[in-house]
Amino acid sequence: MSAQQSPARGRAGGFADWIGAAARRRRAVTEAFVDTFAAWGYEYLSTPLVEPLETVAAGVGGGLQTQLFRFMDADGSLLALVGERTVSVARVVATQLQGARPPLRLCYAGPVLFNRPPLGGRRREAMQAGCELIGHPGLAADAECIALAAAALERAGISGVQIDVGHADFVPALLDSAGLDPEARSRVAAALRDRDLVAVEEALGGSEAGEAERELLLAFPTLRGGREILDTAGERIREGRPRQVLADLADLWEVLDHHGITGSVHLDLGAVRDWDYYTGPTFELFSADLGWPLGSGGRYDRLLAAFGAPAPATGFVLHVDRCCDALLRGAGEQEGAQALRLGYPAGSARQAAALAVRLRAAGVAVALDLEPSGDGDQPVADGAARLEDGGLRWRCAGRDGTGVDALVAARTQAVR
Amino acid sequence: MSVGLRLALPAGALFEDACRLLGEAGVADVDPGQFERRLSVSAGPVTMAKMRPTDVPVYVEMGACDAGIVGKDILWEQPLDCYELVDLRFGACRLVLAAPEGSPLAAGRFPRSLRAATKYPVAARRFFDSLGLAVELIRLHGSVELAPAMGLADCVVDITATGRTLTANHLVEIAEAGRSSARLIANQASLKTRSTAVNQLAAALRRTVTAAPAPAAAAAGEGPG
Repeated sequence: MSAQQSPARGRAGGFADWIGAAARRRRAVTEAFVDTFAAWGYEYLSTPLVEPLETVAAGVGGGLQTQLFRFMDADGSLLALVGERTVSVARVVATQLQGARPPLRLCYAGPVLFNRPPLGGRRREAMQAGCELIGHPGLAADAECIALAAAALERAGISGVQIDVGHADFVPALLDSAGLDPEARSRVAAALRDRDLVAVEEALGGSEAGEAERELLLAFPTLRGGREILDTAGERIREGRPRQVLADLADLWEVLDHHGITGSVHLDLGAVRDWDYYTGPTFELFSADLGWPLGSGGRYDRLLAAFGAPAPATGFVLHVDRCCDALLRGAGEQEGAQALRLGYPAGSARQAAALAVRLRAAGVAVALDLEPSGDGDQPVADGAARLEDGGLRWRCAGRDGTGVDALVAARTQAVR
Repeated sequence: MSVGLRLALPAGALFEDACRLLGEAGVADVDPGQFERRLSVSAGPVTMAKMRPTDVPVYVEMGACDAGIVGKDILWEQPLDCYELVDLRFGACRLVLAAPEGSPLAAGRFPRSLRAATKYPVAARRFFDSLGLAVELIRLHGSVELAPAMGLADCVVDITATGRTLTANHLVEIAEAGRSSARLIANQASLKTRSTAVNQLAAALRRTVTAAPAPAAAAAGEGPG
């Protein structure tokens, strides 16, 4: 068997290697996110890639479990590779951080894995970064998360982000007040969850839904817009829980305006999110360059109770790999700054090493040649420098020059 | 942000009806013949791509197309993160359980163990589960009517529009397992970032199909027999 056919060269389907510019971009985006979280006072937390299946199940319920890599611990108990990290953060908050004074601002970044067939270009490993704001029940906390998610995307260089804000209670409350019998209600809810509006229409068709609710449920994908849609919807809904949700969203809009981001926010009353998990405002972030949300979040006041430490909570996750895709589609491949190659003639290894230390201290990335080379007559290649008897000669980005200070200035400029 | 809309169209039985509907709805003036030499055609702000029907949900889910037209039968087998917006009513057909004439099954008696041949394993599994029947499914890619005749399976779960193919193969329908027709699906992000264009498309198609009388399943013509 030739090396080309060796089974040891295989890679599991749905996983990727990240090399060169792609690897740099992935790391830079992750760092931009975590730096932004830190700037907003969120403390970085590192949780394990493995959790007991029971812990995962307490948080996300049965549905997602089947999509996880599961395996057995030495004592026979079941473990899972995490498919998201909010549950891990909740576990930490309910245990080690019990008694900490609220609100808690926590953030994380790391890979998550899904054991699903790698069809249609779906990945099985993804880098996620996110924040959890725990212990505050008010809309100020929800607004902070939305504004922070938007700020993190902006810091990573993703422009034209659109934020869709909804409320987990709106559609269920509408279904409750529509006067549907339990069976019709669950059919409509299931159809909405599947995003199948044809089935929503069918289920409503044979039901006794009230006129206003029926109209709203059918108009669902168009129940989107600025602050004004709250008034439009309010004309049709005058009382009950749906009305209260509209008032909450109006208040949330006000706080988002304090953060100065209402220009990129759409209110989406028909937002279909996981109603069993979310309990308040929810949001998703989109870019025109990508067919998937870049991130999503919302209020989940019930999760901490599953770990025996009830507390209101809100948060969000950003999908680093999708953000990298959006950056690539928006701006195209950009050549990142390579390290400066530093050459030297025989006998100058000591001076060259000292010069490399000095350059690195000044912020210039330097790859020091492992062997001395040539004589002073050969031209210096682009992106390289040579230590010679007469001093330092260098050439980068089409410019050449001599001297350490000029080189530091040129490189610093190029990196910016 | 571009205002153009990328639309995935299914090759095969639904293709000509899909093109006709886009014309009647005023979305795009497109002649099916234009796709003979090219796989994608632009008409005004709309770019249309012709592809294998099973590829339509993939293009739409991944955001390579904003919206697409595809039979519900394809969506049964590939549940994806897309919005299903409008029942376009053409391409109507039914998923049925059928068994050979004279078999116990045809007489309404379900044997203890049953083998069913189908091209629709997901929909067939859901159907048998709803009846509480444990059935061994044999997934085939070609004419499933052959399976009972050759002794591979006791029955078939297959798509039919007119029932002619079943009759010709001495199969009788026992139960209906689902109804399919063409659907408009949309990418989740496109519905948000290009909502005006996508919602206008959905509204135009909905107006056109509700104005015309719904074609009976038998009139689907070149659909599955």
